[in-house]
Amino acid sequence: MKNAGLPLRLEGVSKRYGTYTALTPTDLSVAAGEFLTLLGPSGSGKTTLLNLIAGYLEPTSGRIEIGSRDVTGLPARQRNIGMVFQSYALFPHMTVGQNIGYGLAVRGVPKAESARRVAEVLSLMQLEGYANRPIQKMSGGQQQRVALARALIIEPDVLLMDEPLSALDKQLRRAVQLELRRLHQEHGRTTIYVTHDQEEALVLSDRIAVMDRGRIQQLGSVDEIYDRPANAFVAGFIGESNLLPAKVNDMAGGKATAEVEAFRRTMVVQAAAGVEPGQTARLLLRPEHLLFNKTDDGVPAEIVETVYLGELSQYSLALESGHVLTARQITDRSLRKGMKVTLSWDPIHARVVPEN
Amino acid sequence: MSKLPLWLRIAGNSAASLILGFLVLPILAVVPASFNKASFIYLPPRAYSGVWYERFLEDVEWRTSLLNSLQVATLATVVAVILGTLAAIGLRRLEGRWRAGITALFLAPMIVPVVVTAVALYRSALDVGLSGSILGMSLGHMILALPFVVINVGIALRGVDENWIKAASGLGAGPWTVFRTITLPNITPGIVGGAVFSFITSFDEVVVAVFLAGYSNKTLPVKIWESIRLEFTPVIAVAATMMIVLAIVLFLVAQLVSSRREISTQ
Ligand SMILES: Nc1ncnc2c1ncn2[C@@H]1O[C@H](COP(=O)(O)OP(=O)(O)OP(=O)(O)O)[C@@H](O)[C@H]1O
Ligand SMILES: [Mg+2]
Repeated sequence: MKNAGLPLRLEGVSKRYGTYTALTPTDLSVAAGEFLTLLGPSGSGKTTLLNLIAGYLEPTSGRIEIGSRDVTGLPARQRNIGMVFQSYALFPHMTVGQNIGYGLAVRGVPKAESARRVAEVLSLMQLEGYANRPIQKMSGGQQQRVALARALIIEPDVLLMDEPLSALDKQLRRAVQLELRRLHQEHGRTTIYVTHDQEEALVLSDRIAVMDRGRIQQLGSVDEIYDRPANAFVAGFIGESNLLPAKVNDMAGGKATAEVEAFRRTMVVQAAAGVEPGQTARLLLRPEHLLFNKTDDGVPAEIVETVYLGELSQYSLALESGHVLTARQITDRSLRKGMKVTLSWDPIHARVVPEN
Repeated sequence: MSKLPLWLRIAGNSAASLILGFLVLPILAVVPASFNKASFIYLPPRAYSGVWYERFLEDVEWRTSLLNSLQVATLATVVAVILGTLAAIGLRRLEGRWRAGITALFLAPMIVPVVVTAVALYRSALDVGLSGSILGMSLGHMILALPFVVINVGIALRGVDENWIKAASGLGAGPWTVFRTITLPNITPGIVGGAVFSFITSFDEVVVAVFLAGYSNKTLPVKIWESIRLEFTPVIAVAATMMIVLAIVLFLVAQLVSSRREISTQ
């Protein structure tokens, strides 16, 4: 089972249904052994991208390479890809062992060797002794592990998982996430993972591709995406954010001079790529980066709501311009609804991002 | 149901029983009739015996008609099951509007009056030299049986998750292996159901058979129909009883297969 998998490369891969574009031409490189997560709202093209890689869909354009092999025209059965489906897609007329051994059986692996390898995978998945159980007698979490075992046993070059945990309850999901991470750390197979759940993405991934409207909006490490979002969509989708309209007057040395109507002032702020003078962009301020000042310096605001989250509290702050910001801080009982405060932030945490 | 007043429930159940009796009793009446001792059908029989069963088996014409029927029904069933299953699979792959139209074509034999089908088959069978042959009758019955297979297998196919197919092919299985190891085991109850309906459709079919039978290759229903116009003997009741028993046995088999399947998928 030791096999880091192969690198994967997509070049201009797209998918159209009639006039509807489910995936715009997309380039993507995934290193051998990397864990990449596709994260995005419903309908953003995550499953489409996965199905194109697996060979269940034919691309409208582009090339797909696994290792040094061009697989663009190959049917799914010749790609040596493991897929875990959201619904698991376990074969209902087979036992656990038969499900897991299916990929070996169709490859003509001798019975004895197949049985040995099934037993090996069962123990890896902590499912010893379940080989002869009918699949329906397994719980949701167990079925999930059977589905993963069935995909892993063929030693795929790339492992694809489409929202594999969405059918599990929250507690179990957390446990399986850690399990997946352990498996990946031990066996490090090239993996592309689809989820709606950003926390899950943060726990598991080396890199995250944030998708929206058939396009990868940003691809990067967890830190990059959180600290330096490429646009307002990514900033709003990952984590909590305040996104204020900002009119860009000038750009110089990676910094934008922007009129921020919410603060009624013009500020010089670092800017993401793609921000251009004359454009209306967004100023991003994360809730945890807003500071309350004791002095009169900063932006005046009034606390309109406080929500205690335990150690942290979340404050809604109305500005004089009428805009409302969200701040999150260590709980301070002296801060109450109706109080006037002034706000400030470290300039390195403010960022102008393009609208989209 | 339990919320209805008692009198209404009693009335409802009685009506249902009466209708059921009305439907079933005349059919079941042939069973005691077949055990008459006399050479005329008395109901209830004045004396019982199995003498007419012996007569049935001794008579070459009755015996061959039974064998003909079994042959025709078997051949019709085999061909209908193969073609109907393929058709159902093909239909499922079609897009919506094509599927509706072509499905209607496949189901047409159920709607077109049988006598129309029979006349058409009679004429065509003459042209291709199949008139009066076992093969001709089998193919005629196959056409009548096809809709049952297409419907039954079509329903069973709806239970086959597209993702099972994807998963199997992703694991390395070619189309034929996928069909044999994934699709087929999951549509077996539908195929068995379709086969039972096909067999019974053929076995008790009389109109097409009359047109295509010729002199030597009468099926059991044709022989019954001919005999009943000449004489009213209990042998006819024997033949009818055999058909009933066969139908019941086949339905039990179908039930058994589908209930097995349900138990195993619970
Ligand atoms: N066969 C099809 N014909 C037409 N449009 C399709 C087809 N399959 C998918 N689409 C469209 O392509 C878009 C992307 O679908 P996709 O399944 O990739 O989304 P997703 O990101 O996986 O969403 P979800 O999170 O809901 O699973 C959707 O708007 C969908 O309606
Ligand atoms: Mg999806």
